[in-house]
Parts: sequence; structure tokens; C-alpha cells
Amino acid sequence: MKRVVFSLLILIGLGMALSAQTSIFDRNCVSCHRREGVSLRRTFMNALLIYSGEQNMKAGLKYFLRHPSKETSVMGEEYFRTHRLKAPTTLTDSELDAALDTYWQRYKVIGNLR
Amino acid sequence: MLRSERSTLRRFLALYAFLTLALVLVASVLYYRSEERIMLLRRKAQVADYAADQIKRLRRLHEHFPRERTYPRDPRFRSAIYDLEHVQIFSTMRNNVVDFRRDIYRHDGVIHFVKLLDSYYLGAKYLFIEIPDDRAWFWTTLGKTALGAGVALFLLALAGLYLARLFLSPMRRSIELLDRFIKDTTHELNTPLTTILANVEGLDSAGLDARQRKKLERIDLAARTVSTLYDDLKYVTLESERPARDSDIDLTELLKERLLFFETMFRARNLELHTNLHPTVMHADRRLIARLVDNLLSNAAKYNRRGGSIEVTLRPGELSIRDSGRGIPPEVLREIFDRYARFDESEGGFGLGLDIVRRIAERYGLEISLDSEPGKGTEVKVLWKDAES
Ligand code: HEC
Repeated sequence: MKRVVFSLLILIGLGMALSAQTSIFDRNCVSCHRREGVSLRRTFMNALLIYSGEQNMKAGLKYFLRHPSKETSVMGEEYFRTHRLKAPTTLTDSELDAALDTYWQRYKVIGNLR
Repeated sequence: MLRSERSTLRRFLALYAFLTLALVLVASVLYYRSEERIMLLRRKAQVADYAADQIKRLRRLHEHFPRERTYPRDPRFRSAIYDLEHVQIFSTMRNNVVDFRRDIYRHDGVIHFVKLLDSYYLGAKYLFIEIPDDRAWFWTTLGKTALGAGVALFLLALAGLYLARLFLSPMRRSIELLDRFIKDTTHELNTPLTTILANVEGLDSAGLDARQRKKLERIDLAARTVSTLYDDLKYVTLESERPARDSDIDLTELLKERLLFFETMFRARNLELHTNLHPTVMHADRRLIARLVDNLLSNAAKYNRRGGSIEVTLRPGELSIRDSGRGIPPEVLREIFDRYARFDESEGGFGLGLDIVRRIAERYGLEISLDSEPGKGTEVKVLWKDAES
């Protein structure tokens, strides 16, 4: 009995670790950005320059990913002379929220300065 | 100075002092604030340069993040960055209590200068530059403020004194007028009064019939009353400046003499006199103590009821005179020792009596206690430290 519970716990832990590795962010955002050759670090720093705070940035990006437009983009006019605008996201609301949470968590500046 | 005069003055001065202090305080605070403002403005120019330098460095760091992670530091100042949501991104400041609404302020030993960024490098909207607060400035400004306040207070105090004088002068003038009038009158009273008393005493009452003797007694009584009054007036106006001639006086003998003097008055009012006199000696001026005793006895008689009693007790350290009069209402008790205040308008007199008692008592450190029960009577006690006991 004990061994069954133990191995179950290990399995659950493994599963969670795996799903974290291949989160919605990695599956959706990272893979496409890699394909398109648009650095997520660069988009993050550009977005930070405009949105500043965490909540403000998440809300702003959420809106942009649903309704992309050159006018509201953080990439700047220069970028769009050579590149196309991205297509609106197909993710659900909660998936998008989760992806943006991961994005912020991985790229944020707060806590990473010395 | 009279007690009523004093209390008016005190009230006026209290009000004046309060208003003056409030005024000076407000002025001081305003002055201090404006000085602070000027100092901060002066510092602001310098600190704005620091901020510009720091923003350049933040921009470079923003471009190289995360390869470069070291927050830019400068020996001239400390700094901090906050995002749009007032969340701290990084800080090297000693004092992290920050105010986002002001552009420059002093707080707890430091000056904070707040600069809003146009581009939010590293997400920073607010850049705080912290420099140590100049203690020397604080103390000199405090000193200057205190000095100014001191000078202002001094000038206002002078003005207050002048105003108080102005305020009191009508009162003082009327009292001076009264004093002068009494002084003049007193002087004129002396000769006729002595004549009457000498002549009444010189009359041979044995040769008169009962009705005539009664009339003579009334004249004698009236003359003695005027004589006491005369002595009081003389004391108040002329003699109080005279140096006292203190000696050991036999109080028992003095009391007996004064009681004899008042005998006619007591008899005329049908007052029963009880005495209990123990041998007592006191070191004082005989005439002054006689004035004190006279006044107390005269009051005990004046405010007594017809057919009442007077009880005089003397023992070392204490003289008590108790009457069976109508007593003194408590609200009058407080001001009863004031000059020209009579506690009962139904009796004549100048209201000098108890003021004289008070003055003489103060001169010799005697304690006067008034114990009065309306309807029952009043007991006046004169207490002193007896050398023997
Ligand atoms: C289909 C491909 C694709 C997917 C999926 C995708 N992106 Fe992008 N993204 C792009 C491209 C292309 C750009 C640059 C052109 C533009 O901004 O429209 C871009 C731009 C951005 C920007 C810059 C925003 C701006 O204002 O210009 C951010 C931030 C960003 N992506 C984040 C994400 C996140 C987070 C996700 C996952 C939820 C995601 N992207 C999913 C292709 C994609």
C-alpha cells in the first residue's frame, strides 16, 4: 500500500515537472517566435519600456495578442518596414493568462539585478 | 495692586500671550518652510544632473540586460527605481520610505529627488535620487527661526506691557483719586475728633440724670466708632509707609484694653462678651496689632445680631474671635479681604477693615482663617508660630 502511494506521488511529481517544462508558453509562444526569429527577450524589453508595471504589461499584451495592430505594437515603425504583423492569438483566456504569467516570471527584471 | 485689577490684568495678559504665541508659531513655521523650499530648490539643480547621468546608465543597462545585471552606482548619491505600479525594481537607498507625489522632499536625514522617466528603462517609471540631508543647514535655519521668534516675542511682550498699562490706567486713576481724597479727609478729621473725645471724657456723667447720661453714652459711642475709622484711614493712607517699631507686646493686656474701648459699642448692641485670655506675648508693632484686633472686634460687633454674643479666645499662637451673626456667604468669602469691598452693604464703612487685617497679617506672617456658617456666625482665627510653644 505504502509503495503504491509513494510511486503514485512520484508519478504525479514527474508529470507536473514535465507539464511545466512544456507549458502553454513554451508550446505556443516560444515555438512560433523561434520559427519567426523574433526574440522573446527583445519583445519583453520593448514591452517593459512601454508598460512598466507587471499588471499593466500583462493587460496590455493580452489586448495586443488578441487584437494586433501596428499602432499599438511595442516593436516600433522601423520593425514593420521589414516584417509582417502577427496574427491574433487562438488561445483561450485562461491559457493566455497562464502564458503571460510564465513570460513575466521568466523574463522579469525585478529580482534579477545586482 | 488690587486683586480685581490683578485678575483683569492676568486675563488680558493670558489672552494676549496666547494670541502672540500662536502668531509667532505660525510665522516661524512659515519662515522655516520657505527656507526649506529655497534650500531644496538650490539642491534640485544639482540633483537633476545626477538624475540625468543615472538615466543614461539605466538605458545602457536596459539594452544589455540580462547579459549585464549590475545596477549602476555612483559615489555622489544613492538611488532607486520603481515601476508604474509603485513596485520597487531596485534600490541602493538608505531610506526607502518614498513619496511619489512630490518632486523633492526631506525625510529622516535624507533628501529625495523624484524624476519621472519618459521611457521606462528596465520598467522604471520613477527614479529616486537620495542625498544626505545637510544637518548644518537644519541647525542654522532652526537657530535663525528661533532668534527671529525670540525677537518678535520680545517686541510683542513690550507692546503687551504697554497695552496692559493703557488698559489699566483708568482703573488705576480712579483708585488713586479715591486714595488722595481719603488722605486729605483723614488729615482734616483729626482735630475735631480729638476735641469731641476729650470733651466727652471730661464731662462729669455722675452729675447727669439717666436720660442725659444715655445721650452722652451715645455721643461717646459714635465718637469712638469714628475714631476707629479714623485710625484705619490713617493706617491705610499715612502710616503704612512708616517703619514698624516692633517690640514684645503683652497681647493679653492689649486685648483687655481694646475690649474696654469697644465696651460701649457692645453694650449698645446688647452683645454678651465671653473671654478666655491666656498670657501671650508677641513680637510686633503694638499699634499695628491694635489695628488688627480693632478691626476684627469691630466686625464681630457690626455684623452680629442684637443680643448676640462675642467669644474671644487668646492662647499662645492663636487668637480667635467668634460672633453669632448671620455669617458670610461662601461666594463672598473669596474676595472678602479686598480693599473697599464690604461683604454686607447694610452696614456703613469704607470696607477698609479686612484689607488692613490682611496687610498687617502679611507683614508679620500671621495666618488668618475665616470659618463662617450662614445663620450661625463667623469665627476668625489669627494663627502664628509662637516662639515658646
Ligand atoms: C504565430 C506566431 C506567434 C505566436 C503563436 C506568438 N507570437 Fe508573439 N509575435 C509574433 C510575431 C511575428 C511578432 C512580431 C510582429 C508583431 O509584433 O506583430 C510577435 C510579437 C510579440 C510581442 C511584441 C508585442 C508588440 O506589442 O509588438 C510580444 C510581447 C509577443 N509576441 C509575445 C507573445 C506571447 C506571450 C505569445 C504566447 C501567448 C506569443 N507572442 C505568441 C509571432 C507569434
